[in-house]
Amino acid sequence: MLEKLQECVEYGDKLGAEFVEARFDDLVLRTLNRINDNWKDVILRSRAGTGITCYYGGASGYSFTASEGKKELRETVSRAFKMAKAAAGAATIKLSFDRRPKIKSKKAEKFPVKIHPSTKDLTYKTDLVNRAVENAKEFGKKISNVTGLYGEMYGHKLFTNSEGSTVDWNFEVVDLRCLVTSKTESGALVNGVEGHGGTKGMEFFNTKGSTPEDIGEKAGTRAKEQLKARSCPAGKFRALVENRLVGVLAHESFGHLSEGDYIVVGGSPLTGKIGTRLGTEHATIVDHGTPNISKFGGLWVPYDDQGTKANKTIVLDKGVLKYYLHSRGTAQYLRQEPTGNCRAVHFGFIPIPRMTNTYFTPGDLTKEEALELLGTGVYAIQTAGGQVESDGSFLFKAIRGYWVEKGEIREPLREVALSGNILHLLSKVEGGTKDLRFSAGYFGGCGKSGQFPLPCGFGGPELVISEVTFGGKAK
Amino acid sequence: MMEYENLKSELLSSVDTGLKYARTKDSKVEFELYLFYQRISKANIKQGVVEATDGIIEGNAVRASEKNRVSFASSSGISIDRIKRSINEAVASLKSVSIKDTRFKGFCEPKKPGKEGIFASEILNLGKEELINYAKDLVKDGLGFDNKILMAEANCEAEWGGFAIGNTLDLQQASRSTLNNCYVYCMAKDKEERRVGYEFDISRKSLIKTEGMGEKAAQKAINLLGARKLDKATVLPTVWKPIAAASYFYASLGQSTRGQPVVEKRSPLTDKINEQIANPNLTVIDDGQKPTGIMTAAVDAEGYPQQKNVIVDKGRLKQFMFDTYYARIYGTESTGNCSRGGGPFGATLPYETSPTISPRSIDISTGNKNIDDLIASIDGQAILITDAPIGIFHSNVSTGEFSVVAGSVFLIQNGTKKWPLQPVSVSGNFYKGFEKLLELGNDLTTTPFAIETPSLVFDGFSIVG
Repeated sequence: MLEKLQECVEYGDKLGAEFVEARFDDLVLRTLNRINDNWKDVILRSRAGTGITCYYGGASGYSFTASEGKKELRETVSRAFKMAKAAAGAATIKLSFDRRPKIKSKKAEKFPVKIHPSTKDLTYKTDLVNRAVENAKEFGKKISNVTGLYGEMYGHKLFTNSEGSTVDWNFEVVDLRCLVTSKTESGALVNGVEGHGGTKGMEFFNTKGSTPEDIGEKAGTRAKEQLKARSCPAGKFRALVENRLVGVLAHESFGHLSEGDYIVVGGSPLTGKIGTRLGTEHATIVDHGTPNISKFGGLWVPYDDQGTKANKTIVLDKGVLKYYLHSRGTAQYLRQEPTGNCRAVHFGFIPIPRMTNTYFTPGDLTKEEALELLGTGVYAIQTAGGQVESDGSFLFKAIRGYWVEKGEIREPLREVALSGNILHLLSKVEGGTKDLRFSAGYFGGCGKSGQFPLPCGFGGPELVISEVTFGGKAK
Repeated sequence: MMEYENLKSELLSSVDTGLKYARTKDSKVEFELYLFYQRISKANIKQGVVEATDGIIEGNAVRASEKNRVSFASSSGISIDRIKRSINEAVASLKSVSIKDTRFKGFCEPKKPGKEGIFASEILNLGKEELINYAKDLVKDGLGFDNKILMAEANCEAEWGGFAIGNTLDLQQASRSTLNNCYVYCMAKDKEERRVGYEFDISRKSLIKTEGMGEKAAQKAINLLGARKLDKATVLPTVWKPIAAASYFYASLGQSTRGQPVVEKRSPLTDKINEQIANPNLTVIDDGQKPTGIMTAAVDAEGYPQQKNVIVDKGRLKQFMFDTYYARIYGTESTGNCSRGGGPFGATLPYETSPTISPRSIDISTGNKNIDDLIASIDGQAILITDAPIGIFHSNVSTGEFSVVAGSVFLIQNGTKKWPLQPVSVSGNFYKGFEKLLELGNDLTTTPFAIETPSLVFDGFSIVG
């Protein structure tokens, strides 16, 4: 296939494109979904296709095809070139970039796992789900529904461009989750959720805390606890934010604002603020395509979809803005270096600046010290998603929480919503715990410009924040 | 490359060939084959950065079933080789494990199809240059409106395509459609304050009308500048303008009246058929046969005829939305709501999604008052929400609890719209909200969520600002 991609690049060059990128994805996606005692979905997807970007006059034209025939590939290049040429006249901000020395990856680079998901049969994977669901039933109470999910995505990614670079690597992610819904005496429904995923081998599901039994037990136990939880009070409180939610905070509320395409057009409040203090010394945010996954978890993204090698980018350093996340075009426009952040959700989309693994770096507090520092407020745990607006206002959902008084956990809270403005929030970070944990997975993902769901990793320690707005029940 | 004129016949021919091959694999196995083809062109201009795309989304999906076991396999492309690949993988999955879905009672039976929606030949002929020019004008109009407009982004898209579905119960159906849409988004800045305004147009029957949209979006953004803090946590009435109201519907009844959460007992409405769940002025209809509806088709994604369904009648819950699978478990007929990742938040590769349930085109009843009269009728303080709050689509269908941040908000005081507010948190329970629905306006508006709704006034939500 690499030769076909190279022919596409040559053809694009010949048509008159200033630069051409060609990529091919050949991925397998599997979803297993058990609801109570029935298997609702046993799904296998084969996703293969080619994407071509042609650059002309500072604009980009993109086209794609699922066909691998020479004629169809040529038509695809031609469409991309025609789009770029038609767009060039409208481009008043030109994101051209200089040629660089070509890069060449090893053949089929891959993250070393002991047991690759492709080596295990379907029965092995359905058994993981069964074990999680059955254990959830054991530990839950007043259950109205138990759902078990397993997902995996893996396969080959190829890239070449007009510089002659060739990138050849294997993407891989697995994920196991359990959701328990229980019914309270008053008829209200409450949830308990647990799951783990990322670039892992199947051996991961044999490790303590990540076994199907552990996942089922936690989901069941949490739903049971939620039966007696109350609504979070509405208002502004001190907060202790758990690792997974901290990761979403780093990704959604700050990471997106640091993406180069928003910066170039002035749409982000971080535009022109390099070197400016935005947060306390406890706020350091990093994006890294190849973190220490064996130790902390996460997603392995060694190259982006423009062929740029993964980077560790310190975006916010002890509260001071240092760098943005880039494609090659936004990097050159803003006179920074490419950061390996130009990604597409699949071959049907042009790559744009996106995150890889985004996280707050750890602090020096123990869990007990963090609770003591919190004093009285809300301990917000697990994530049900979040969203940020271009002015920095955000909303995040924690699946559950606890009301804490004088450093002691008092009572469980139902779903907790945290909101505010990220620039304000960063100035309220008082400290972090020592433990760094990443989350990633097959289910869910990041959405931007219609490209959803892109797998991303996110993480951090637990953070103590002096003031967060909680949506809930006002008196 | 496919042409619109012969799209249905070519897809149906491939379905027929694929099913014939499937039957040779195992005569005891039932099969369903779905083919999807869409030609899509789009132009996006952010300020002056231009990205243009022109491509073809095509793929196939196969379901195989034998003795209460069902498997699903999809692959990119609609060539016979790719279809065979999916068939082989579906059969391999089916044979490799003994896991069962005892609730599965077979694929969709053949029925007479409904009607197709309106088709517009001018959308077929919409060229890349025109899309780029539309986007360019929208950005120019937005930026030129006022020197406080810092940034403008426009996106214009045109698409045509269709799908064919067949199964070994002799069902073979196809549908095709055209669609074009655009949006413009303007950001106004004054000192460190940034506010955004948004306008859109979407149509399957005529070309998008971009005139005046850029200016309107810019005006909306400027209107929000100078926002003051509410500075309290309290309970207040809220007026949701149509786009905000549509997001409320989509996240609440649009989800909890789907057969899946109902049957799986994750919907709080499961046992409430024929109960009064809302103000008697509220009627909700999902119409899969409205000629102008963007999701209108002769058949749904499993080949069942799309139809018009009354979901809520005068505040009373009348019906849930079903596909064949969940309808049979519930003990009723499909309502023609089977979807494969379609809709306003649909999957970008729809053929990869196994059949699910989604609304087609929701119409909400109207009241008598316009937005000014709704506002004038409020005593004391209230909040006017003019755009979809952030976080509303992350709400929990099973609990109905929601907590969102409304960024486009104004204070209402003693019947008058006052000043814009800094973002406020709005929390409550969707279903209790319908019980406390005070009024519906007469300003019926088509929204990007495939919902036509007027403004709505609710009481009883917690506001923190």
